[in-house]
Amino acid sequence: MASNPMDQFKVEPIFQGPKIGPFDLTFTNASLWMVITVAAVILFMAMTMRGKLIPGRLQSMGELSYEFIADMLKETTGPEAVKWFPYVFTIFFFILFANLIGMNPYAFTTTSHIAVTAALAVFTILAVVIAGIWKNGLKWFKIFAPAGLPLIMYPVIIPIEIISFVSRPVTLAVRLFANMTAGHVMLKLFAIFIAYLVGKGAATGVAAIVPILGTIGIVALEFLVAALQAFVFAILTCVYLNDVYHVDHH
Amino acid sequence: MSDEKRTSQPTQSSSDLDDLERRLETARNRHKEPEADGDNGGTLLGMAWRLSTELVVAVLVGAGLGYGLDHLFGTRPWLLLVGLGFGFAAGIMSVFRVAGKMDAENAHIPIGEDMPDTNDDEMD
Repeated sequence: MASNPMDQFKVEPIFQGPKIGPFDLTFTNASLWMVITVAAVILFMAMTMRGKLIPGRLQSMGELSYEFIADMLKETTGPEAVKWFPYVFTIFFFILFANLIGMNPYAFTTTSHIAVTAALAVFTILAVVIAGIWKNGLKWFKIFAPAGLPLIMYPVIIPIEIISFVSRPVTLAVRLFANMTAGHVMLKLFAIFIAYLVGKGAATGVAAIVPILGTIGIVALEFLVAALQAFVFAILTCVYLNDVYHVDHH
Repeated sequence: MSDEKRTSQPTQSSSDLDDLERRLETARNRHKEPEADGDNGGTLLGMAWRLSTELVVAVLVGAGLGYGLDHLFGTRPWLLLVGLGFGFAAGIMSVFRVAGKMDAENAHIPIGEDMPDTNDDEMD
């Protein structure tokens, strides 16, 4: 095992790919674990899709996950937004599975890289911008200028609204990446500390019980965070989709 | 009623479904309390994370936009400072907006300990 807590985030090529323009198509361990994540989601869905009138355990999991996302969309965005279901469902389950798979020893946590989370966040915000302009035309830009303010306020409020819109993808990306990275660094540090104490001798070896208990607590917390961050990402995607449908009352 | 249910259970799926519905209902009622509790802890952590990142990132984005515009117009420190101010304002505004929405969502949950019954009724 590596003794540097940041070593677990190293991206290493598995086999060299061609370079097309600025794009390097090398297949790395990050790519491998993303493929594994997608395969796991597909496997999960395939296993839960045997439709029976009275569902078994697996089918119930599939139905619950469908209802969970569908209700989230209907409640936060509105019934007209249900056509976004496939997107939100995919985002949620990709992040959830990536986070949970990353909790396994020796696995690589793809969501601990801001390149991955930023790409997901950019997809979400581009979807909002493109669908918003598609649906409302140029009137969509009214979300930056809320109606009913005195004229003098607009030079102040428009930059503020633009900044708060631009920070949306940044918050999405940073929150997920920071949570995953911080959690995994913390886990690694505690684990290294255990090894260090045990290696020093019998007296300090007994004291290692403290970081062992700490590690157990952090593992539990990290499982909560893994699910929670997937949920937060998905529900914020729904909240931001509001701007596609409700341009006037912001 | 219960008679009819028993006789038709093996053949007719519709009363089978009714039976399942009833059993689900009782199971749901039994598990209601702890579920709601656990949910709350998770969403509180989520809210905390959301509010804090919202504030910090808005300031950074404001400063970043100001810095970029400074580069564009050659007005070195000034737009960065303006952007920092606007970013801070944007951060406060989004925090207030999010917190207001959270308050509205939670408004129907009574906090006092003397009205658990009405709470249960409202949850349905």
